[in-house]
Amino acid sequence: MELFFNPFDNLVCILLGISLTVWFTLLLVFIIVPAIFGVSFGIRRLYMKTLLKLFEWATLRIERGAKENNHHLHKPYSNAIIAKEPTSFEEEIKEIRRSGSNKDLDSASEFEMSDIFYFTRRGVASIMDDEVTKRFSAEELESWNLLTRSNNNFHYISLRLTVLWGLGLVIRYSFLLPLRVTLAFTGVGLLVFLTCVIGLLPNGRLKNFLSEKVHLMCYRICVRALTAIITYHDSENKPKKGGICVANHTSPIDVIILASDGCYAMVGQIHGGLMGVIQRSMVKACPHIWFERSEVKDRHLVAKRLSDHLEVKTKLPILIFPEGTCINNTSVMMFKKGSFEIGGTVYPVAIKYDPRFGDAFWNSSKFGMVSYLLRMMSSWAIVCSVWYLPPMSREEDEDAVQFANRVKAAIARQGGLVDLLWDGGLKRGKVKETFKEEQQKLYSKMLVGTQEDRSRS
Amino acid sequence: MGAFQSSPGQPEYVDLKEKTGFSISQIRVLHTRFKLLGHNGETLKRDHFNSIPDLACNPIRSQIIEAFFDRRNFRQNGEGPVDEIHFEEFLMVMSHFKAPSPRMIEERESVRREKLRFIFNMHDTDDDGTITLEEYRHVIDELLSLTEDLGKDTAKDIADAAMREVASTSMAHMEPDEFFEGITFEHFLKLLKGFEIELKMNVHFSIMDTPTFCK
Repeated sequence: MELFFNPFDNLVCILLGISLTVWFTLLLVFIIVPAIFGVSFGIRRLYMKTLLKLFEWATLRIERGAKENNHHLHKPYSNAIIAKEPTSFEEEIKEIRRSGSNKDLDSASEFEMSDIFYFTRRGVASIMDDEVTKRFSAEELESWNLLTRSNNNFHYISLRLTVLWGLGLVIRYSFLLPLRVTLAFTGVGLLVFLTCVIGLLPNGRLKNFLSEKVHLMCYRICVRALTAIITYHDSENKPKKGGICVANHTSPIDVIILASDGCYAMVGQIHGGLMGVIQRSMVKACPHIWFERSEVKDRHLVAKRLSDHLEVKTKLPILIFPEGTCINNTSVMMFKKGSFEIGGTVYPVAIKYDPRFGDAFWNSSKFGMVSYLLRMMSSWAIVCSVWYLPPMSREEDEDAVQFANRVKAAIARQGGLVDLLWDGGLKRGKVKETFKEEQQKLYSKMLVGTQEDRSRS
Repeated sequence: MGAFQSSPGQPEYVDLKEKTGFSISQIRVLHTRFKLLGHNGETLKRDHFNSIPDLACNPIRSQIIEAFFDRRNFRQNGEGPVDEIHFEEFLMVMSHFKAPSPRMIEERESVRREKLRFIFNMHDTDDDGTITLEEYRHVIDELLSLTEDLGKDTAKDIADAAMREVASTSMAHMEPDEFFEGITFEHFLKLLKGFEIELKMNVHFSIMDTPTFCK
């Protein structure tokens, strides 16, 4: 018996050894080496084109299948459900009153019972659909991208489609996922190790040069770990030293995407665990700005450290996400004014993800960080576009809030996102009482204004 | 992970369609909305409505939210408030705001009554079938602001004037020695006789329900 097993065991070991060697060589040649030098074979773009064709075919099949079986197809409504009527507040109230009474009302001077209708209708309309809450959940897709998680329509349509879906599942989980996880560990491991080594060097030009190269290389490996296919536009506007780079925030991956194309000084809170290890080693090679949890509350301290960093013109540009939280990439929410008060040139960047290949939005109430990353690594790919917008500075007569809104509008316009005034913090908190009072003031002004006219005449 | 995602069965929606008059795609959309508001739970509570910023700006939001938890609006002849609602009840309340289909001209009167009943229930917070002057004044107070623009006296004047008008219209129909209890539903209907509420109190879906297949 033993004799029988031994040669078999040997064979298995040899085969395993060979396949592992082949695997790692391929990895090295096709992925890691290009990452070090910043070149690309174009494999990923080819992959993307193939996938697109596949998705189109799959969608057509579903639609045809639905027709044949007389199923009702659910088309997600990405636009507003409710037909917006573009009349102003006053006009609507007047119209409601006019349609009711026979009196000739020129002014909305007295309270009428019908005013309730207006507010009721508006209230129910906002329960049915409103601009803000839908930004905190993932965007719905119009076509199906062969991932069950993004599908609402999938019934058993055809054997071919099911086989394709199964094949996709197998490829994604047994081939792509291990590949990506390996790359991710390589990238992060190299980052930690090399930055620690560089940290031992004395401060000077050599250190800065090396740290730049190391950071870029490791981020590029991470980009490949996610199979992120990024298109950079207008690179001549890339953020320069001594400036601040602001971008819209959809997920933690934003950092990797931006940092693989340029070197930034990052700003953030120090975490524990693996994140903390990475942060601490990064700061040895290059001056990032990490805050302790207690320091984050102190706005003056934060502002001071940021402006100190900016003073030194040779320091890397600071990367900030002024929304403060992750939004689902269909809109841009209020920019917190803190980053716009410290001065310096602002370089806006717009990031737009293509949802067909994988939804990059991190819904932190639904998924933790690890499950989010696993989801990312088991999607098809992350496809996004990055636009570097021309630099902006605060003008003489602008205050920080107006400047922030100006920058936000530019980013929204470029990325094709909806520009909202609401605060992203609404994801977690409630609206303040002051907002309710605003509406009340508007309404009562309308009543009182005309009262005064009447009492004067 | 390996299982196919099961979509809600068609028969449930068909049942709801019969009861509320919404189309299947409208019901689907509203169901997605229900799940979003309730964080994928089975029911909605009052707190869930507080996360909508637009609603928070609305002066009478507490009345509107109460209307969703009021059994009188569930069309089951019940009364009193509940603490949480399921999707069916959510749809029932929403159906009060459905635009009447053009074919239902005959039913216009009943649609009218229904919508006005909804508004009436919103005012009548103690479920006794009449809107007393206190209840009416409460609604007006919610609508007006208590800022310096509008002194407390002016607010009171406006409220009083409105109530006087309502009371005079109602009292015209009463005997001199009858005590004015409040506005009953019939009075309410008379007061709002001229309003085409079936046209004014609707929320329109911008995408009409066009089936994507031909039979």
